Amino acid sequence: MSRRIAASLLLALAIVATAPPRRAAAAESAAGAVTRTKLANGMTVLVRENPTAPVVAISLMLRMGTRWETRQNAGISNFLQLMVVRGTTLRDGTQIVSVADRMGGSIDAYADADYAEIPATALSRYWGEMLDLVAEIALKPSIPDGTTQAVRDFLARQIRNRADKPYDAAFDSLMARTYGDNPYAWDPLGLKESLERMDRAALLAHYRRHYVPGAMVLAVSGKVKSAELVARAEGLFGALPAASAPAPNATPAPAPASARAVLTVPGAQAQILMGGLAPSLTDPDLAAMKVASTILGGGLSSRFFSELRDKQGLAYTTAAREPMRVGAGYFLALLGTAPANKEKAEAALREQLERIQRQAVSGEELRVAKASLLGSLAMDRRTNARQAWYMASLEVAGVGHEFLDRYVAQVRAVTAADVQRAAQRYLATVRTVVAEPAQ
Amino acid sequence: MSRAHRGRGGVLLVVVALFLASGCAGRSGGAGGAAGGELPPPIRQVLPNGLRLIVQDHRAADIVAVYLYVGVGVRYERPDQLGYSHFQEHMLFKGTDKWGPGYIDRTVEGVGGRTNATTSFDFTDFYMLVPKESTETAIQTLADMAFRSSFDPNEVAREREVIFEEANIETDNPKTAIVRQLYGMVFADNPYGYPVLGTRPTMNAATSAILRAYNKQYYAPENMTLVVAGPVDVKTVRGMVDRIWGVIPSTGYKPVSAPTPRPLTGIVRKSVERPEQQARLALGWQAPPTNDLNGDTVDLLTTILAGAESSRLAVRLRDQERLVSSITMSYSAQMGGGIVSLRAELEAKDLERVEQIILEEIARMQADGPTEEERQLAVIRAESQHAFDTETSDGLANAYAIAETTWTLDAELGYVDRLGKITREQIRDAARRYLSRADYARIAFQPKQ
Repeated sequence: MSRRIAASLLLALAIVATAPPRRAAAAESAAGAVTRTKLANGMTVLVRENPTAPVVAISLMLRMGTRWETRQNAGISNFLQLMVVRGTTLRDGTQIVSVADRMGGSIDAYADADYAEIPATALSRYWGEMLDLVAEIALKPSIPDGTTQAVRDFLARQIRNRADKPYDAAFDSLMARTYGDNPYAWDPLGLKESLERMDRAALLAHYRRHYVPGAMVLAVSGKVKSAELVARAEGLFGALPAASAPAPNATPAPAPASARAVLTVPGAQAQILMGGLAPSLTDPDLAAMKVASTILGGGLSSRFFSELRDKQGLAYTTAAREPMRVGAGYFLALLGTAPANKEKAEAALREQLERIQRQAVSGEELRVAKASLLGSLAMDRRTNARQAWYMASLEVAGVGHEFLDRYVAQVRAVTAADVQRAAQRYLATVRTVVAEPAQ
Repeated sequence: MSRAHRGRGGVLLVVVALFLASGCAGRSGGAGGAAGGELPPPIRQVLPNGLRLIVQDHRAADIVAVYLYVGVGVRYERPDQLGYSHFQEHMLFKGTDKWGPGYIDRTVEGVGGRTNATTSFDFTDFYMLVPKESTETAIQTLADMAFRSSFDPNEVAREREVIFEEANIETDNPKTAIVRQLYGMVFADNPYGYPVLGTRPTMNAATSAILRAYNKQYYAPENMTLVVAGPVDVKTVRGMVDRIWGVIPSTGYKPVSAPTPRPLTGIVRKSVERPEQQARLALGWQAPPTNDLNGDTVDLLTTILAGAESSRLAVRLRDQERLVSSITMSYSAQMGGGIVSLRAELEAKDLERVEQIILEEIARMQADGPTEEERQLAVIRAESQHAFDTETSDGLANAYAIAETTWTLDAELGYVDRLGKITREQIRDAARRYLSRADYARIAFQPKQ
C-alpha cells in the first residue's frame, strides 16, 4: 500500500545528534525534571525521567479531535484512531496487542475534544521496542477495508449504548444544546449519521492532514534516559517532512440561554444536569471558576456533597465539573437521585448555583477548595501515564507543561470576590436537562 | 494476582483485578526491592496491642498513602445483619465525639488530600492520600474514625437513604449488577453470595446502638492493619502510631474462620431482562481460597484464557469471530473460597454461540494446556501488574494491606517468583480441576423483547 510516509524511513536509524536537553529546576523527589526537544521537522519530544518503578508510559498526541471536526464528519478523529491501532503494514490488530502484552504493557488509540492520543505502557526494559511500536502505528497504519466496517459497527453500538445510560444521555443532550454548531457539541464517538457516511478514503484524508510533525507531540515518563529516548525518537520520526497542524473549526457556540429539557431513560435513578459555557484554558477567569466549581461540587467537602447529599439526603452522586478546554469550556452541575426526590433536588441544586452568586464564600471554604483543587491535581499526576498525558496534552494545547506552575499560582491568588464575580458571569444563565426513568 | 475482590470509590462489587505481588521479579532481578525499581523492602511491625504496622519508603511523589484494613466484611454478618459492615464504613465518616459530620472530608480535602473507603467480603478498608506534611493528620483522623465515631441517630437515618440510593445505582449499572448476581449464584447460601449493601429489612432495623455495638465487636487493634507508604521515615511513623494507636487497648478479639462454600453442582442458569440493548454474559466457577497456592496457577490460567488483550478468548471471540465487543476473565480470591469470573459484552442473538465457544476453548485448554509463549506472557503480565503497583505509594500500600489482612505479607512478596516456576502442565491441570464444563454458573442480561 502506498503511504505518504515511506516504510524505509522507519529503518533509517541515522540518529541525529541533538543538543543536550535543557534541564528544568531539580525537583525534590526522585522524578520531576522534564526535557523538551524540538526535532528539525517541528515535532516536539518531552521526557520525564522517573526511576521509581521499572515501567514506562508513552503518549503520542496529535492536534486532532472533535475540535477539528464538523457536523458532517463528527467522530472521524476517534474512528481514525481506532483504525490505526487495528493494523499496520507489518502486522494486524491482534498481533499489535499481542506484542504489547509481551512487553507487559498496553497500547491503545482514541480521540478526545482537544487532542487524539496513542497511549502506551510497558515494563521499562522494553521502552525502545514500545516506542518503535507506537511509531509503527502512527506512521504505517494500513486502515484495512474489512476492519473499517467492523469498527463502524462497534462505534454505532457505542453510540446506541450511550443513549441507554441515563447520565451519558443527559450529558450528551446538554452539550448539544450548549454548543450548537460548535464541534464540542458532540461526543468524540461522533454522530450516527456522520459515521455512516465515513469511508476509508475519508479516513485516509483525515490521516494525511493530521499525522504531520507540526501536529505531533511525543511525551514519555518512566525509567528511561532522556538522551537515549530522544535519539530513538529522532530516528523514528525525524525524517517526516515538515508540515504544520491544520486549523481547528472555529464555529462559535450559541449565546447561553435558560432552558430546560426532559428525557426518558432506562434505570431506577433520575439524573439532573445543569450547565453552560465556562472559561477556556487561557481565560483569566479560569482559576476563579475552577475554585467556584470546587466549592460547589469538587469533592466530599463541597457544598453539593455536604448540603444535598449529607444534610438533605437528596442525592447519592453529586458533583460539579469544569474541565479544561482549549476552546470555550463548560461548567456542569450534576445530581443523581431517586425519582421521588427529583423536584426537590432540582430546586436545591438551582439554589446552590444562585447562592454562590449572591453571597461571598467564606475564607475557610476558599482555603479548603484551593487545597482540594491543587491536591487533586497532584494526586492525578501520580502515575507515569498521567504525567505523560499532562505533558503531551498541554503541549498540544499550545501552553506547555509549564502552564501548570502558572495555573497553581493563579489558583493560590484567587479571592472570594473573584469567585463571586466568576459565578455571576458564568452561572447566571444555565441550561437544565433532567433524565428520568419511564413511569 | 487478584488476591482480593474489591470495589472502587465506595460503590461496591466492581471486580477489579488487583495485582498484589511484590518482591524480586525473576527476570529483572532487582535485589531486595521491587522488580528492577529502586525501593527498599517494606518494614512490618506488630504493636503490643496487636495492631500490625507496615511502612514502605517510596519517593516518587510527595504524597503519603495511609491505609487502614479492618478484618470485618460481609462474611462476618449474620443473616439479620446484612449490610452492617458497609453501613459501619459509611458511618465512620459521619462524625466523632470530637468533631461533627463533614469534619473528616473537610480535614483531608483541606490539606489537599483524598479519602475513601470500601467494604468487601473479608475486610473493610479506609484510605487517605495526603501531602507528606499531613501524615500525622491522616494517621490521627483514621484512629478517630475507627474508635471514636459517634453514630448519631439522625446521621444513621440520613445515611441509610444514601445507601439505598447506592443500591439503585448498583442495580442500574449492568456491569456491577451482573457480577453481583453471579456471586449470588456461585456462592449460593454462603456469605460470599450475600449482598454487600444489605437488604431493606436488615438495613431498616439497624440503629445507632446496633452499629455502635458492631464497631466495638470488630474494630479492635488486633483485627487491624495500618500501612503507611511514601517519602517517610520508619522511626518517625512508628512514633506517631505508638502515640496515637498504641494507647488503644486490645479487646481480646479472636478471628472467626472463613466459611467454606458448598460446591457448585450442575449448570446454574439465569436470564435477566434489562432496559439496555447491550447484552452481557457472565460465567462463574468456584476457585481456590486466598491461602491456597493453587491460586497462583489459576491466576496464570485466567490470564491466558481471557485476562489479557491477546488472550485466547479475546482473539477468537473479539478479533476473529467478532462476536463480542469485550471479554475478560479474572480470579478473585477470598479467605473462604475464590471465584473465577468471565464477563463478555455482546449482542443478545450471540449468547448461546459465545457460551459454546468459551466451553470449547476451556476443553482445548484442559486437553493440551497452554503454549510456552502463553505461559511466558501470563508471567510477564503478572510481573508488569506488580511493577505498575509500585509506581504509586497508594498502589503499594493497598497491596500490602490486603495481603496482610487476607494472607501474609511474605506470601505476597514471593508471588512473582513463584509464578515463574509454574509449568504448562500445572496450568492444564488447573483448567481440569477448576473450570468444570458441567458445574458452573451462567447469567445473561438481555434486552426486553
